[in-house]
Amino acid sequence: MTLTPKNIYMIIVLAGTILLIGDHLTSPALTAAGSPSELGNACAPCGAPCIDTDTK
Amino acid sequence: MSETLSPPASPAHTSAGRAFEASSFIFFALIALSLAGLVWLDTGWRGIGLFGLGGILGAVFLSFQYGFASVWRRALVGGEVMGLAAHFLLIGLCAIVFIPASLWGLNAVGTVAPVSVSLFIGAFMFGIGMQLANGCGSGVLFSFGGGSGRMVIALPFFILGSLLGSFLLPTVLEWGSAGPIAIAGSLAELPKTALNLALIGGAGISFYLLGRRRRQHLPAALIIASIVIAVLCWAVFALSGHPWGVTFGFTLWGAKIAQDLGVPVENFTFWQWSGPARSLQHSLLSDTSSLMNIGMVLGAGILASISGHLTRQNWPSGRQLVAAVLGGLLMGIGARLSFGCNIGAFLGGIASGSLHGWVWFVLAMAGSFAGIQLRPKFGLSK
Repeated sequence: MTLTPKNIYMIIVLAGTILLIGDHLTSPALTAAGSPSELGNACAPCGAPCIDTDTK
Repeated sequence: MSETLSPPASPAHTSAGRAFEASSFIFFALIALSLAGLVWLDTGWRGIGLFGLGGILGAVFLSFQYGFASVWRRALVGGEVMGLAAHFLLIGLCAIVFIPASLWGLNAVGTVAPVSVSLFIGAFMFGIGMQLANGCGSGVLFSFGGGSGRMVIALPFFILGSLLGSFLLPTVLEWGSAGPIAIAGSLAELPKTALNLALIGGAGISFYLLGRRRRQHLPAALIIASIVIAVLCWAVFALSGHPWGVTFGFTLWGAKIAQDLGVPVENFTFWQWSGPARSLQHSLLSDTSSLMNIGMVLGAGILASISGHLTRQNWPSGRQLVAAVLGGLLMGIGARLSFGCNIGAFLGGIASGSLHGWVWFVLAMAGSFAGIQLRPKFGLSK
């Protein structure tokens, strides 16, 4: 198999999918998809803390 | 990332005569269906909705080749500013829903992140990175989904950089921060929205009028794309409870992989903050950003399979691949330090009425200018 971008890409996607499913099956899942900001100690979905109320 | 503002150069527009890649299509469709089943089992309609919206966004971005890096480069190099007018159209449309969310009856809040030293450093780094990698947060993702050789290299380094950024952020935050600042935050919803729309509209109209003075044309496809993406962003906002974000997913992927390799990621400060800690402990499919990113890759992959786009991808030169590595790393670190990318910080921040979004825009534009000067060293045109 030649290392064309398509082949490398497909391998990465396949490997990523296997890792993803492995992670999913070995990690507790939440009943609702969420992001860090929903816990109230982050000001943004990126997980940035609210400086004034930072709870490290 | 798109090299053009003017259609048609997209997979959907150039598909005539191209072979439908059945095996690739089946490959992506099977993965999408398998993951959709897992998402459905845990997070139900909400999870499926976000996964699907990611897929549609990936297909839309790839189809329209909706770019940020190339638009900014054209503005800085050739003074072509109509693309920036389109970006502010998108932001303005989002702001109409994001800022007065409660008036729309939505249980959602905007992205208001700190104005900090880390924001200045990170946004500037991100600007350099997006010009070296030829794509930004969304651009790397949908171009990767479309099989771009450059992004096949850039994305893993974006993920690595994002993880490194998570290790650095707590320290850099201590260098100084004014905290999160909402523009007109003390006003009621309506005047706050009006003031922010005036600022966004002022920027967009200024770019439009400047473009008209320079006899530039705003392509209809770009206006349509901005409106379609805005509608999708409204849906993401309503369903997820916050504006669309891309790069936290990358950070989380990097952390999970590092953990698998034995790195005690959970001991680092960022990953002890309760939000990131919760994400690290749970399945990636429980994280909104990851869910949408995966959907975006698969959506772009499916469209690229249908249009025969995948087999047309070639490797860039070695020097350009080095630029992709550096660009990915800089974007990853920069995104974490500056609380997001062109989607989470620029679009999400400004459309939420957060001052950090405007600061991000100015600093990332300055970084882009610096990055453009570096491009020829890597065999990339200015």
